[in-house]
Amino acid sequence: MDDLFVKPGNQERGWNDPPQFSYGLQVAGSTRSPLTKRGPPPPAAGLQAPPPCGDPSPDQQATSPHLHGITPPPHKMTTPTHRITPPPSGVTPPLSQATSSPCGSRLPPPPKGGPCPMSRPPSGPDSKAPCGPRAEPDPQPEPDLQAVSSVLAEALEACRQNVSRQVCEDIAKRLRLLEDSWTSGRLSSTVKRRMNALTLEMKSSHWSAADDIHRSLMVDHVTEVSQWMVGIKRLIAETRNLSPELLAFSPADPVQPEPVGN
Amino acid sequence: MTTYQEFIQQNEDRDGVRFSWNLWPSSRLEATRLVVPVSCLFTPLKERPDLPPVQYEPVMCGRANCKAVLNPLCQVDFRAKIWACNFCFQRNPFPPSYAGISDVNQPAELMPQFSTIEYVVQRGPVAPLIFLYVVDTCLEEEDLQALRESLQMSLSLLPPNALVGLITFGRMVQVHELSCEGIAKSYVFRGTKELSSKQIQEMLGLMKPAVSGQQGRPAAPQDPSATCRFLQPVHRVDMNLTDLLGELQRDPWPVPQGKRPLRSTGVALSVAVGLLEGAFPNTGARVMLFTGGPPTQGPGMVVGDELKTPIRSWHDIQKDNARHLKKSSKYYDTLANRTAVNGHSIDIYACALDQTGLLEMKCLSNLTGGHIVMGDSFNTSLFKQTFQRVFSKDYSGEFRMAFGGTMEVKTSRELKVCGAIGPCVSLGAKGPSVSENEMGVGGTSQWKVCSLNPSTTLAMFFEVVSQHNAPVPQGGRGAIQFVTQYQHSSTQRRIRVTTVARNWADAQSQIQHIESSFDQEASAVIMARLGVFRAESEEGPDVLRWLDRQLIRLCQKFGQFNKDDPTSFKLSESLSLYPQFMFHLRRSPFLQVFNNSPDESSYYRHHFVRQDLTQSLIMVQPMLYSYSFHGPPEPVLLDSSSILPDRILLMDTFFQLVIYHGETIAQWRKAGYQEMAEYENFKQLLQAPLDDAQEILQTRFPMPRYVDTEHGGSQARFLLSKVNPSQTHNNSNGWTQEPGAPILTDDVSLQVFMDHLKKLAVSSST
Repeated sequence: MDDLFVKPGNQERGWNDPPQFSYGLQVAGSTRSPLTKRGPPPPAAGLQAPPPCGDPSPDQQATSPHLHGITPPPHKMTTPTHRITPPPSGVTPPLSQATSSPCGSRLPPPPKGGPCPMSRPPSGPDSKAPCGPRAEPDPQPEPDLQAVSSVLAEALEACRQNVSRQVCEDIAKRLRLLEDSWTSGRLSSTVKRRMNALTLEMKSSHWSAADDIHRSLMVDHVTEVSQWMVGIKRLIAETRNLSPELLAFSPADPVQPEPVGN
Repeated sequence: MTTYQEFIQQNEDRDGVRFSWNLWPSSRLEATRLVVPVSCLFTPLKERPDLPPVQYEPVMCGRANCKAVLNPLCQVDFRAKIWACNFCFQRNPFPPSYAGISDVNQPAELMPQFSTIEYVVQRGPVAPLIFLYVVDTCLEEEDLQALRESLQMSLSLLPPNALVGLITFGRMVQVHELSCEGIAKSYVFRGTKELSSKQIQEMLGLMKPAVSGQQGRPAAPQDPSATCRFLQPVHRVDMNLTDLLGELQRDPWPVPQGKRPLRSTGVALSVAVGLLEGAFPNTGARVMLFTGGPPTQGPGMVVGDELKTPIRSWHDIQKDNARHLKKSSKYYDTLANRTAVNGHSIDIYACALDQTGLLEMKCLSNLTGGHIVMGDSFNTSLFKQTFQRVFSKDYSGEFRMAFGGTMEVKTSRELKVCGAIGPCVSLGAKGPSVSENEMGVGGTSQWKVCSLNPSTTLAMFFEVVSQHNAPVPQGGRGAIQFVTQYQHSSTQRRIRVTTVARNWADAQSQIQHIESSFDQEASAVIMARLGVFRAESEEGPDVLRWLDRQLIRLCQKFGQFNKDDPTSFKLSESLSLYPQFMFHLRRSPFLQVFNNSPDESSYYRHHFVRQDLTQSLIMVQPMLYSYSFHGPPEPVLLDSSSILPDRILLMDTFFQLVIYHGETIAQWRKAGYQEMAEYENFKQLLQAPLDDAQEILQTRFPMPRYVDTEHGGSQARFLLSKVNPSQTHNNSNGWTQEPGAPILTDDVSLQVFMDHLKKLAVSSST
């Protein structure tokens, strides 16, 4: 799923710039219920008693079995010398009294344990996949330019009968730009893969799906594709208006069986 | 038996309406004694996936000055095929198409679950949506490149049949002709000369005899391409426009050392407004201004080009030392009003590190329902994604934007409408239901909302007009109808009608009922809007005093206490949170300008007076969630006592999302425990607030800034400045075991605020 990702914002140019979500994630939207609950009001909104200066949360229930199960070993923190100390090597960090922090608190390590049930979202179905930056899926074979451009070229040929010459030339120009970028190695493999998917959708006359892939490429990879993508966009728009007879994609490469139809 | 909370929630879900009071006092005198006016927050186009529009037109009351729409509150005589208007009591025959109705065969608009209903109007010409980009070219190359790409990208997001146009400006203003063939042509205007709409249209060659015709009707040209070479369908010009945008150059005029670039924003906008005014009056259109600095020449100039003269600050404004402020504000105000009359809207995307003149230009968006987005650079995710979300779609694949809206309010006889606060202008419609007592934009029963989206929310104010001692009106209920006509993003004309009613109550005998019908969240937001509305024209301290006075009066009215005994003071549950909201409102950037530039204040207020209740309340009193090993994430008090070493806090202020790692957590994180397999749970704990923050980031418009900080981090100030300083360096004896984090501040805490409030409320002399 290389169309669902989050990349960090541009901290160079924008102060506290938020992370950037891919088109796929933005379209999917949010599935959890929003965090709109408020903390318990102070007793009668502070009308009878001062707002609790102690812990306001119902923390007494904190002694979950989870915490009882594992008593974490104390661990020596000698932070001042190394700013980023490597993770404690042994499974059991050395025993010692914790270094005093300015306000006198100690630093035992966090409680150990397996899965952390307390860190789930407060409500709502947790159906959504985590959306941290994902690793690319295992490398698939890189799509072949020939396969991609042949579909596009055939679509363009089909258009020539109905669409003005100038528009066709314009599209052709952009297809050449695409090929140039592809052959000169200026396209990332994500873009190539999605272009391949796009042409497969075109081949199956799934115009809306193809259009959606075009949109996702424009949103997620505008720098790479802005020069020529508009030609693809136009090609999709023109071919979807053609009568199906004019469109006869040659079954060039073995495609996985897909429902053909509109 | 449903509680008021359930009742309020149901009504918001169904009708997009939240009233301050859900029982209405039956006389004018009693209403004024309630302090918080009878008022509501109304979201005209609230998203209703379960409400498909009906494909016919509304049936209206035949009385000329009523014209209320048939609704579930009307009395119907199915045999005689007659309905009685519940606003003016006129008896109306049903139109012929309703001949088949009966008890068991009722049209949707008579069913109680359709108190909100949407009609599709079939008649009238279909006009395409229009997007006119007005682009500043006095940008750094990196910013200009990012903006080019965003604009190119947007062509893929626009509806394919939308018309699009391009104006660029720097020292000169260029209106680009968008033709499919031939060489690119543009019309150039000097940036220093104010031009009338007529002059602009003449110079652009738009003065064609054909355009004359009926007024007020969408005068969609038969062939837009012939009428206007400057606005063309996206699907026709996307390739050329992509190239044109790709070739946009920085303003070629040299900028001498120590000078600002000459930016003719004022003229560029007036050309844009004039162009649309001539070619497409009363058709949905958005002017989208992208600017990277303040206007520095010509009409609407905000600051001179000398860099040694800084742009005005609050200090300058208070000292009456802002040279261009009045003149340029007036210029943009005039332009904004013209735009609103045409039914168009103006967005401002301002990306720069310094101020860009939003204070002067804000009315362009505030009066026309346009967006204001404020960022540091066009090459940020904040701008790019916010811009993308302008074109976001709803559950049914339709754009979340509507155009050219008018909202009309009808009231039953015991009520009059005092005004509205929101992104709207008055349409000056007088009538029997218009009160003389103005609150917000008043003196009318109709408002124009040139651009709306599903969260656009107006505060509406009403007045009870029945005289004291008059009996509770017949039927026992007062009714209000909102009729919102707009152009849907699919270009259809639609009418959404919401009819609501509330019971009357005698404030003398039923004051407790009225009290329990109080919606403290809605009331807090409504009073805050009144405060912000006042703050635009009054001095800050006066507004705070006014708010304080209202709060004290409310507490005097509804508190239980013995005279002059503050310790005896109590508020019932339905008002218990209200003082706390007011406390945080007083500290909010909507009423405090300290530490904010005039542009920032304008920006914050812009968003505050248009968002729905939930978002507005987050702005008033930010949300704070706590994550720990002690249990699931939980909302905690916005209080310094919530800042604990072993917690991670997630604060949402609407404009910022702050993740704050407590001291111990930060040390653990620094020590890298999250990398170790046996501390997997710690890793998950660190991840949980990030996941929740992403949920908010994924949907919020505009994108908030995102702060990841920890105990002692410089950015922890965002959290520390928002929490109630219940412990400060003055009252905390820091080295004891009292949990929480003392704040270095002289601000009063909620406790002190409440103590004063109680004292004043119970005092016999206030």
